[in-house]
Parts: sequence; C-alpha cells; structure tokens
Amino acid sequence: MLLLTLAVIAGVRFSLLLGLGLLIGFTLERYGFGFAGPWRRLIRDRDAQGMIAQLVAIGLTALAIQPLIAYAPGSLIGAIAPVSLTMIIAAAVFGLSMQMILGCGSGTLVNAGSGNIIGLVALPLFCIGSFLGSLLVPFAIQSTPHIPVSLTSLLGVEQSVAVTLAGLLIVGLIARGFSQGPIWNRRFLTAAVILAALATLHVLIAGQPWGVVYGLGLWAAKAAQGVGWDPSTAQFWIHPINASALKASILTDTTSLTSIGLVIGAALAAWVDSVHRPFKQPVAVWYYLVAALFGLLLGVSSRLAFGCNVGGLFSGIASGSMHGWVWLIAGFIGSIAGVHLRDKIWSLANREIK
Amino acid sequence: MTNRAGIITAVTTVVLIVLLDWSLGTPPDPYRAPDPMALGSTSGASGAICSLAPGAEK
Repeated sequence: MLLLTLAVIAGVRFSLLLGLGLLIGFTLERYGFGFAGPWRRLIRDRDAQGMIAQLVAIGLTALAIQPLIAYAPGSLIGAIAPVSLTMIIAAAVFGLSMQMILGCGSGTLVNAGSGNIIGLVALPLFCIGSFLGSLLVPFAIQSTPHIPVSLTSLLGVEQSVAVTLAGLLIVGLIARGFSQGPIWNRRFLTAAVILAALATLHVLIAGQPWGVVYGLGLWAAKAAQGVGWDPSTAQFWIHPINASALKASILTDTTSLTSIGLVIGAALAAWVDSVHRPFKQPVAVWYYLVAALFGLLLGVSSRLAFGCNVGGLFSGIASGSMHGWVWLIAGFIGSIAGVHLRDKIWSLANREIK
Repeated sequence: MTNRAGIITAVTTVVLIVLLDWSLGTPPDPYRAPDPMALGSTSGASGAICSLAPGAEK
C-alpha cells in the first residue's frame, strides 16, 4: 500500500527504491548482518564469520555491477571518489566512531529502526554531522590533493573485476589466518547473497550504487534551510546536483528513500521480538551523550571520507574505486582503537549503574 | 517500557520528516518521474551519491 501510494504520487522508480530499502533493512535486522559488529568480533574474539560474509557480499556485487556500469556508461555510474589524506583520516575516525556506538551507516539506521535507544540518540546527530561535513568538504578538497582512481577506467572492466576479487580474497585469507574458529556461517552467507542481489538491483533501478550518508546530510540541510541557512553560501550545496536535490522532495532522492526503507524494514523485522526486549540499556545516562558525540562524528567523518561503510567501503570497492580499499584499511585501523576505547567506556558506564 | 516504544519512535520520526518535507518543500511531480529502471534509460543516475566530491571530479 505504501509502495503503491509512492508509485502514484512520485513515480515507480522511487517506489522501487523504497521497497529495496525495506528489503535491505529487513535482511540486515533479521539475519543480524552488519559491519561494525563483525569487525568488533574479528578484533576482539578472533571470529571472522561476519567479515567473510561481508567480503562475499562485496565480491558478488562487484562481479555484477562493474560490467553493468562499464557497458551502460550513459545511465549507470559507480561510487568513484577521490583518495586523500583527509579522506583517510575521516575513514579512520568513522571506524572508531562506529565501534563506539556499535552502529555504522546502515547499522545506525537499522538499530534506530529496531528500537535501539543508542541508535535513536545517534541518528539525528549523524544527520547533523553529515551536513556539517558537507560544509567542510570544499575546504578539504582545496587543502589536500584529492585523486579519484577508478580501477575499471585504469585497467578495463575484466582486469578490474579480477583485481577486486583478488583483493577481497587476500583480505579474506588474512582474516582466516587471524581467526580462531570457523569462518563460514550459513546465516551470514545467506544475508550476503541477498544483500548482493539487492545492491545490484539498486544499481539497475537508481543508476548508482547504494549509499546512506548523502540522504542523511540532505535531511539536515533541508532543516537548516528551514531555519534560515542560505545554501548559496555553501560551495558543496551550490553544485548543480546538490542544489537540485535540496529543491526536490526527499521522496525523489535515492539515498533518502533507501535510508527511510532501512528504518522501516528493520522496524518490521524487529517488531515481533521487541516486546521481550527492554527499551532502556544497562548504562549510565552520560553514555547517551557519548553516543550523541560519536553519532555526530560518524556524520562528519563519513562525508569527508566520501561515504560510510556502505557508500565508501561496500559500494566503493564493488564499483572498482580505490577509495573503497583505502577506506577499508583506514576504517579497520580506526575500529581497532574504537573496540578498545568502547570496552573501557562501556564498562565504566555499566559499572556506574550497578 | 519495551523496545516497541523505540520502534514506534523511529518510524514516527521518519514519517514526520517526510510530512514536514512535503508540507514545506516541493512535493514530487509524478508527471516528471524518471523511467522505472535507470538501466537503458535516458533518465539515468541522479548523481546525488555519497562519493560525490564537487571540485575533485577530474
């Protein structure tokens, strides 16, 4: 009914995108598939099952979308972004922040949708942070060299796919070497295959890979405009694509629709069991301020890193963008620090309430 | 209070964002809607994507 209404009032493409978002949100919540959690389990418990499933999802998506984008250049585009010093630092900060709230780009939306109070606190700040980050992007681009590297342009599509799959295999072997248990998990692998299929459909329908951060920043930019902010003063927002998105309805913005879908999809998946879960978490109130702070950092850093774990890592690598690989390394280093910091602060917040 | 309160809060917030945007901004025009699929269409990707880096395109 919701999708039919949107098809009538906005168009079939937008309805399909909302539907895709719903399915992605439902899949992530129902199968417990994520990014921050698996990285945490790999770092802390030497459990590589979730990480391996992520690599499978990215690999399958790359296999499908790189040829599609290469052979339909007029209508499909990849998530190709520049590599720079600020981008690397921002990805590391994102990796740290996502461990602090145990929610990445997609994870924060899914956590909020499933009623998690930390996700609910972090999400509005994530939106504001993404908007603030968009104001910083032009300064970052002017201050440090930003070099976009597309493997498909550089090597051709066949070699680019081969290099991408080989890179994922190497990461998988490193994770397997570090792991102290089984690396295959049927539930995660099922989710990975579903996610890859949905991510490929996203490219076919939207013409561009799945992303999260752009839409969140757009919502905050629209809110800022509502309270008197003038977008013509911001270099990022006078770019024709951004100016057009700011004028249009969020019901016609790709990342907004999939992000809305993610929240509702996760809500549907979590609804039945939610009655048995307590709303309040066993932590001191001040931890919610910590969550808000790191939610803000998630937004700022993901904008400066040209995507979060979805738009930067997942879609970046799958599109053949070098920035996706750099994101993976920097984000993981940040996550190592984040896992240790989170354990310390969480135990402090947890001890205080006992 | 159960987690269901959180779910209701999240979905209500999202609905409010859409309604606010609808009432204060430009509502969508179905007559200017792009083709259902970008693949093979003249109305391809919008380009409004996380990897967009104005000023660093080249």
